Formats: sequence, structure tokens, C-alpha cells
Amino acid sequence: MLTFTLRKLLTVAGTMLGIAVLTFVITNIAPGDPARLVAGPNATEDMVATIRTEYGLDRPMIEQFAIYMKDLVTGDFGTSIVSTRPVLDELLRYAPATIELVLVAMLLGIFVGVPLGMLSAVYKDGPIDHFTRILSISGVAIPAFWFGILMQLYFSVDLGWLPVSGRLPLVTRPPEFITGSLLIDSLLAGNFKTFNTALSYIILPAIVLSFPCLASILRVNRAEMIEVLQSDYIVAARAHGISSRRIVICYALKNALLPTLAMIGLRFGWMLGSTVLVETVFDWPGIGLYAVSSALASDFKPVIGVTLLIGFLFIITNTLVDLAYAWIDPRLRRA
Amino acid sequence: MSTPLLDIKDYSLDIGTFDGPVHVLKGINLTVNRGDTLGIVGESGSGKTVLVRSVMGIGPKGSEVTQGQITFDGQDITRLTEKAWGNIRGIRISMIFQDPMTYLNPLFTIGQQISDVIAAHQRASGEGVASKSARRARTVELLDQVGMRDPDQLFDQYPHQLSGGMRQRVLIAMALAGKPELLIADEPTTALDVTVQAQVLDLIKSLVEKLNLTVVMISHDIGAIATIATRCAVMYKGEIVEQGATADILGNPQHAYTKQLLAAVPDIEAEPKRVAAAAAEPKTEKPVKLLEAHDLTKIYKSQSGEPFTAVDKVNLSVAKGEIFGVVGESGSGKSTLARMLLRLIEPTSGDIIFDGQNISGLNGEPLRQMRRHMQFVFQNPHSALNGRHTIGDAIGEPLRIQTNMSKRDIEARVEALLDIVQLPRMFKYRYPHELSGGQKQRVCIARAIALNPRLLILDEPTSALDISVQAQVLEFLQQVRAELDLTYVFISHDLAVIRQICDQTIVMKRGQIVEQGDTEKIFLSPAEDYTRALIESGRKTSRAANIGATG
Amino acid sequence: MSNIEQTATRPLSFRERNASQIRQMRLYAHMFRGSFSSMLGLTLVVVFLILAAIGPYIVPYPEDTRGAVHMAARLLPPSAEHWFGTDEMGADIFSRVIAGARTSLWIGIVITGLGALIGVPLGIIAGYKGGLLRACIMRVTELFLAVPGLALALAIVASLGPGLTNCMIALAIVWWPGYVRLVEAKTLSVKEELFVESARSIGAKTPWILWHHILPNCMSPIIVKMSMDMGMAILAAAGLGFIGLGAPPPAPEWGAMVSVARSYMPDWWWYSFFPGAAIFLTVLGFNLLGDGLRDILDPRSRTR
Repeated sequence: MLTFTLRKLLTVAGTMLGIAVLTFVITNIAPGDPARLVAGPNATEDMVATIRTEYGLDRPMIEQFAIYMKDLVTGDFGTSIVSTRPVLDELLRYAPATIELVLVAMLLGIFVGVPLGMLSAVYKDGPIDHFTRILSISGVAIPAFWFGILMQLYFSVDLGWLPVSGRLPLVTRPPEFITGSLLIDSLLAGNFKTFNTALSYIILPAIVLSFPCLASILRVNRAEMIEVLQSDYIVAARAHGISSRRIVICYALKNALLPTLAMIGLRFGWMLGSTVLVETVFDWPGIGLYAVSSALASDFKPVIGVTLLIGFLFIITNTLVDLAYAWIDPRLRRA
Repeated sequence: MSTPLLDIKDYSLDIGTFDGPVHVLKGINLTVNRGDTLGIVGESGSGKTVLVRSVMGIGPKGSEVTQGQITFDGQDITRLTEKAWGNIRGIRISMIFQDPMTYLNPLFTIGQQISDVIAAHQRASGEGVASKSARRARTVELLDQVGMRDPDQLFDQYPHQLSGGMRQRVLIAMALAGKPELLIADEPTTALDVTVQAQVLDLIKSLVEKLNLTVVMISHDIGAIATIATRCAVMYKGEIVEQGATADILGNPQHAYTKQLLAAVPDIEAEPKRVAAAAAEPKTEKPVKLLEAHDLTKIYKSQSGEPFTAVDKVNLSVAKGEIFGVVGESGSGKSTLARMLLRLIEPTSGDIIFDGQNISGLNGEPLRQMRRHMQFVFQNPHSALNGRHTIGDAIGEPLRIQTNMSKRDIEARVEALLDIVQLPRMFKYRYPHELSGGQKQRVCIARAIALNPRLLILDEPTSALDISVQAQVLEFLQQVRAELDLTYVFISHDLAVIRQICDQTIVMKRGQIVEQGDTEKIFLSPAEDYTRALIESGRKTSRAANIGATG
Repeated sequence: MSNIEQTATRPLSFRERNASQIRQMRLYAHMFRGSFSSMLGLTLVVVFLILAAIGPYIVPYPEDTRGAVHMAARLLPPSAEHWFGTDEMGADIFSRVIAGARTSLWIGIVITGLGALIGVPLGIIAGYKGGLLRACIMRVTELFLAVPGLALALAIVASLGPGLTNCMIALAIVWWPGYVRLVEAKTLSVKEELFVESARSIGAKTPWILWHHILPNCMSPIIVKMSMDMGMAILAAAGLGFIGLGAPPPAPEWGAMVSVARSYMPDWWWYSFFPGAAIFLTVLGFNLLGDGLRDILDPRSRTR
């Protein structure tokens, strides 16, 4: 198990390196002179030249790459043009909001998706199954930004139940920074009022973000359950007199959970990507919104920073999923 | 004693398909009394598995009982609710399954799975679930009973850590966990190696005697049935054509199908007819070596990085015109050897000499040319044909690759080849899934002989087929050989088949040749224990089927 | 069977020769028709395709699709004249939504087409060849899959600059790895089939085997994925359009329309509702169609 973990960590390092290369390539695919882009349209030739030397753009590609890598390793993600602050600082400021949102959405997806998938597999072709089928198909097809707007229209504008957008109202003082998650921090501070407010703000974006994820978890879990329930070893378990409930909850669920787990890992990454849409709709102050506003302002370093961070988070999740796989499946356990 | 334990009366069952209902079972009548051991013999598609699964209430989906009923211990169980089944299935009727690979849950330990079954039984009998340690003790006792060494340690192991034979023993232990009144065994030995088969059969037999079990066993293997069952029924196309005492049926079959089935079982004791034919041929000049192998070795690297020697320094020489047999169990390296001879697998070291030319160094175009002369017939005809190609495409493919014949010439040649393998010409428009196993194997042979090769390597060409089909294909293979002047390398695990057709034979075990020489000599005076064990297990099947003939 | 042999000399009719295929097709059609959701998907896709083909010729206000301004008719609610209402320029939203179908179809075809064109050959080669080549291809593929698609596409578009073409390029770049992975996995399993070994044993060259044996057996999952991806690519492109990196405003692109409409929320709800609904129904149609195709073509891989 230890060597297995070590090998995984090595893979993580390798992939991170790869992503760094990838982002470097992306920064350099743009046609035209990057120095002129930075300098702006009204710059003189001299200014462009100064910028070129300052940014090291006149050096050979390999050297530029080496500098880029050195900066990354030392935690230097460059400086945002718009805010003139280091990108790393801003990432650290915005990331907790995104991670909180994604985790809440993920939990929602898992704890609604898995049981619903199980139920619809057991009662295949029953009313529950029909309901979940509509849910799962529309969940994947619905545009998140449009769904978000509809939710705002109904729950916030029409019913007035939940706030339209943002993370906390301006008048509420955020709890002391411990984990960065408003929900956890306010609980730790014992401030239930702030907790409730934070909760009311996160519900809509979390639902919108988790809907496609919930749909695909449900779908995979249902399909896997159906297949597992027809498999030979389940037939054997039935033939050996083990009760249906135990077969479904204990035996089949564990087997069906493996592919579901893979889907959960996949969807986690997908949600990280979708935050750019959902955070835009809900003005959620996370890295997604940060990336979008920077991209629209042609502020390039923050976009790359967000890409690296999202890639990093995704790799960490995938590694955790792999470890969970090995924990569930004894066949993968040998080192 | 008055009511039979299991009574099947006039039972018929349909399965609905796109092409309308298929009558899978037709008017089955069977009675099993307590203490009986009943064997049901039948080939694939005879409906025997559907029948016993119906007895367990786990029949196929979309099936409908059209008439008749099944009574278990006086209770009609034809259309029980799932809830009512709970007290019978697995508790009073238990089952041993065919393929031990897929019938154990891969994610749970052996101990967990068996003690779960024990718990379920205790719950059903209302005596309350025993403590974990008590169940563990009972599990260990069961594992011991089925002849597992070191049962205590086995408790915490996962299915993938066990061999096929061990898994089958675990499944037997599971089936016995609740002291069932009726034990159903569904081809319990089919997926196992020959020598392991014999051990598992002996185990079942001893358990039946020791525990006084009532058993219904289904199998296509007459030897297995004869070992276990005192009574026996023969199934054919959803009907029971004959039933009675096993000795009577085997010794004096009444129905034409039974006679045909018994006749098709190759007889390991009989001196092959072929010997006479071979003697008639003039043996003047010394035989020409067509294929030779020198120190052929294949070493695989396992996932953990340790080298694994699949074939270890094998030397052989095949004379022109002979049938050269290769015998061995699974894992003996015989399939690897066969593929190396054709360079489908690259040998790690050693030389292959075909017709005086060393082909082990050939590559690219020369190797491709060489392949015209040596062809391969695969074990499993169901997978050896591409499901997206018609039969005509499949047979014509070698011609399209190796020759520049015109489209029309290829068409004509395909039809001629279909004639040779005795299939209707219009089959060239069909797809593989529409053909039976025997027909598919004929197509494979037609494909292999399309280029007029000189050597055919046959890798268990009949082991995926039913016995009666096997007999036809074997006979046909011999015919083709005579007509086209072919040399065969014939690989099999079935010694009776080998004895029937092979001139020379090598016996392989764990990658090495343990014995080689004239086939008859090997059979009459085997020098090695391993060979003797193989022949002995082969005898079991053969003897059973030939009770009538030998006495 | 005996009468077949008797008549074998007579040349067979087309129907007799292709009896197997005809039966298979009828079985497929039967299964497809039996499923309500498949038929719904097919209907949605057909409607979408028709609109994409003839939409610009049948819309009530063709000039509105090219950015005409009618200041007098700004932000009107849905009515008999303007079925979906009008936008802030007074343009008819119904006309613009219909005109958007062609843009979306174009987006879907380009992205899925490019993705499959790059991904399928790479996947087949990686799966069949193995060794170093496979290691290289799969490493690069995994690298692309290691960054969530939308985030990577955003970065690429940010680098290339906004615009519909750059959007499509970016999405195609993040789209092909999915095909490599799918096809590689399928090839690995097909490669183990005996018929591939059989083809090798009769002396077939690698290209022949790839073309005649591996590819046809990989086709079902590819078709299914392409059908699904048509929808997903349209969805992703609409997402980029919504962010504001897609087609510039006057172009009738659904995502961009929702984006502009967002600032007219909540009072002018129809502005964002109808373009979004068009995206939803189109994606839904392709998903349902793909799902239905999977059920009949590739029933065992339903989970993926």
C-alpha cells in the first residue's frame, strides 16, 4: 500500500510538470508579439522593446521556459495587470470560496445521486425510475448558466426565498478566517446566524453546479447496479439464500460503487471547470469568476494561474479516487 | 418417504424473443426422491440449465411457464413470490455453479461470503444469528470439509488469490453451509482442468456419501455424470428423451440421440483405426521433416516484474504428412508453443525451421509470404471470426491479402471452399452469429485452407464444441487432410482425441516436454506419472460412455 | 436448409443476399421505435437539423438575424407578432434563435469532427501498437484530460483572443483526448479477440487489420460518443459564448444571447429564456439520440 501511494505521488508530480509545460505552450500559441499585447495599442517601439527585455521575451524559448518553471516552483505566478497584485495572493484569496462551493455541490451530488441511482435500479421501470431518468437526462443537457438564471428568477425574484447572488451580504461580517469556508468557519466560531446566511447564499449555486454531476452519478450508479444485480455472483448469493436487502445494500452497492467512484472523480474536475459559468451567474467570488474577468480584460497571468490551480486540484482528487479504488478493490491492492 | 422431494410434472417454458417465443422446455417430467442422485446429460442449448434454474426460482428473464408445475416436498413452487422463495432458495435447495471465476464476489473475502450465507440460514430457520466467532468456526469447518488445506488462513483471502479448483471448493462449501435438502450442481467441473476435475468430482462423490445428500447434477460430461449419479436423464432440445438408472442408459441406450451421443465420445481405450491405414501406406523413404523447433523458449515478464517461463527449451520435429499431437493442461504452455511455431508470438530464444528454412529471423514481407504455407485454426470459433464480416468476406480475406486474384475469382474460390467444408454456398452472405459452433469452425477451417497451406496448426479446435459436433469436426479434419495432403500439429487437452488421430505426441507440463514419442506407445506404456494421471482422468469419461461396449 | 441447397445455383436476389442485414436493421428499428426517449431525441435532432438547413429562409424577420436595429420595438414581450419577444435592439428573438441553429450545428460538427479525426487514429494506433508509442500518446492524452475541459478551453481562448473560430479551435483541442481514451480502451479489448490474431496468421499487414478488423469493431461506441458530443460541444461553446469569449454580439449565437440577456433580468425574462431553451432542447435531443443508439448498438457499455 505504501509503495502504491508513493508511486501515485510520483505520478502527481509528473502530471503537474506536464500541465506546467502545457500552460507554457498555451501562452505561446498566440500569434503576434506578446510584448506588444502587454504594452497596449498606444505603446511606442521603445516601450515594447523595454517590456520585451523586462519580461525576458527576447531570450530563446528554452530559456524562457526555464525561467517560467523556476518562477512556478518558487510560487511566482506573475502579476495581475488589472489589480497589479501577485497572482498567487489573489488565487489564495479566491480559492476557498470555489473549493467550498465545489465540495458542497459534490456532497449534494453524491448523497442524492447514489441513493437515487440505487433505488431506480432496484425498482427498474417503476415510477422512481422514470422520474430519475428525466432527471438524469435533463441534468446533463441543461446549460448551467441558463439553469442558474432560471433558478434565480424563480427562487430569488418570484418567491424571494434565497438571495440572488454573492457569497455574503455586505452588512454581514465574515467569520474569522480558519479554513476559508464560510460554513465551517462560522460553525467553528459558534455563529449560527452567519452560518444560516452563508448557507442561504450557497444553496442555489451549489444546486446548479451539482445538477449535471448528480445526474451522471445517478446514471452510472443505476446502470452499474442493474448490471451487478444480474451478475453471476449476485445470482449465486441469491441462490444461497441471502436476503434481497442485504444483497442490494451490502453486496451490489460495493461492486457498483467502483465505476461510480470513477465518475465522481471525473465530475469533480468537470465541476471545477464549470465554476467559470456558475460563479459568473451568481457573482460568486471564486477563482472561476476571477479567471473570467481576467480573460475578458486580456489579463493573461491570472488565467494561467487558475488553470494550474484547477489542474492541481483535479489531480489531487483523482489520486484520492485511485486510493479509494484500491481500498475497495482487493485486486488492486498489491503493490 | 411417500412424497418425492422434487417432482416436475409436464413442465414447459417459453422465452420471448424478437422472433417470437422460443420453446425452451417441453413437457419435462422428473422425480427426485430423498437420497437420490440424478444426473441430467445434455449438450449446450438443450435447456438443462434453464430447467435447474427454474427449480431454484432464478429462471431467465422474459420466460413464461406455459404448462405444468414443479413441486418441492409437497409444495408447489412453480410461481412463488420472491418472499416465499426466501425460505427455500439457498436454505432447502442449494446450488453449485459452473464457473467459479464469476460466481464469487471479487470484493469480499472468502470467509465473509461463507459466513454471510451461514447467517442467512440461521436467520431463515429462526434460530437467531450466531456470533461472529461461531460463524467463523463453522466456516473453517466447512472449508476443511471440502478438503481445503489451511482453512483458517483462507478465511481472510479474496477470490482472486485462489486457483480455479480452490474456488470451486469454496462454492461447494457455500452450497453446503445450510445443510440443504436438495443440492443442484450445474456443470461443477466444466471450467476446470482435467486433473482438477477428477479431484472435484471425487470430493462431490465423497460428500454425497458422507452427508447423504440428494443431488441433481447437470453436465455435458457423461463421465462426470457416471461418477456421481445413480439415475440419469438425457435432455435434447428442451425435452427429456430418456431417463432411468445410469448404468442402464449408458449400457443400453434406447433413444437414437443417446446412442449418437455415446458413440461420439472418443474412446481412449480403443486402438485407433488410423493405425491400420497408416500401415497400408508404403513407408519407403525416410520421412521428410516439415517443421522443427530447437530450444524454443518464451519468457514473459509478469506484472510484478518476475520472469515467467511459459515455454522452456522445447525441441520437436514434425514429419511431412503426419498428425503431431501436443497434450497438456491449461498453463502448460501448449498454446504459446503453437503460436510461436507460427511466429504469432515472438520466441525469446530458439529456432523454428520450416521446410529447411529457418523462419525465426524472418520479418516483414518474407514472413508474410511464409504465412501462406502455415495456417492456424483457433480454439474458439465464436471469437475467431469478425462479427462485422460476412462468411464470404472471412473466407475470402486470405485470398485478398495474399494473392491478386480478381473479385470474381475470389467469389468462385470461396464457393468452392464452402463446398469443401460441406456448407451451403449461400452461407457466404451470412454473419457468424447466425451459425452454430460447428459451422463456424468449418468456416475457420475453410479460411485456413484457402491458400493451400502445407501445415495446419490446430489449437484445441474442438474443445469449444459439443461432443457430437466434435466427432463430426474431427472426422472432417481427417478427410480434409487426406484430400489436401496436409500436415497437422494438433493441440488438445483431451487424450482420447489425441489417441484417435495423432501419430506422434508430446506431453507438456509447465512449459516443458515431459514425454514424447509414438502416440500408441505413450498410451500403452506411459513413462511419467503426469502422463498416467492425465490418461487416468481421461479414462473416467471414456469408460462411462463405453460401459455398454466393455461390459 | 435442404431447399436452400437446391436453389443455390440460381443467382440470389438483393433481398436474399442481404437478408441478414435487413433483419438486423429491422431489429434495430424495432428497438429504437420501442423507446419513447430515443424517438423524442430523434425528433428534436431532426427539427434542429431542418432549422439549421432552412432556418434563415423561413424566419419572419431575416434582417434581425444580422443585427438590424428597431429602436421603437425594444424589449417587447412575446406576442403574435414576435413569438419570443424582442431584444434590446428591437430585434425579433424568434428569428435570432432559429438563425442560431445553423451556428450551433456548425460548432457541433467542427468540434466533434476535429476531435474524432484527431482522436480516433491516435487511439487505434496507441491501443494496437503498444510500447513506447502508446506510452507517448497516452501520456499526452492524460495530460489534456488532467485539466478540466472548460478551464483549459478558457485559457486557450484567452490566449488566442475571443471569437467564434478561436472558441471552436480551443474546444477541438480539449475534445480529442476523449476519443483517444475511448478508442484506445476499445482497441485494447478488440485486439485480444482471436479474429485479429487470425488475420495476422494469414499474413495481413497492420493497416489492413486496423481498417478491416479493429475500426469496424470500434465503430459503435464512436458513433454513440459522436452523437452525444454534438450536444456537449454545442453546450460548451454556448458556455464560452455566455462568458463573452464567443461570437461578438450581433451574431445570432445562443450562449452570447443569454449573456446579453442576463443584464435584462428579471423584468425581461423572455430574452434569456428562449435562447437558453433552444440550447437545452438541442443538447437534450443529441443526448437522447446517443443514448438510444447506445442501447441498440453497444448495449454492454451503457455505463460510460
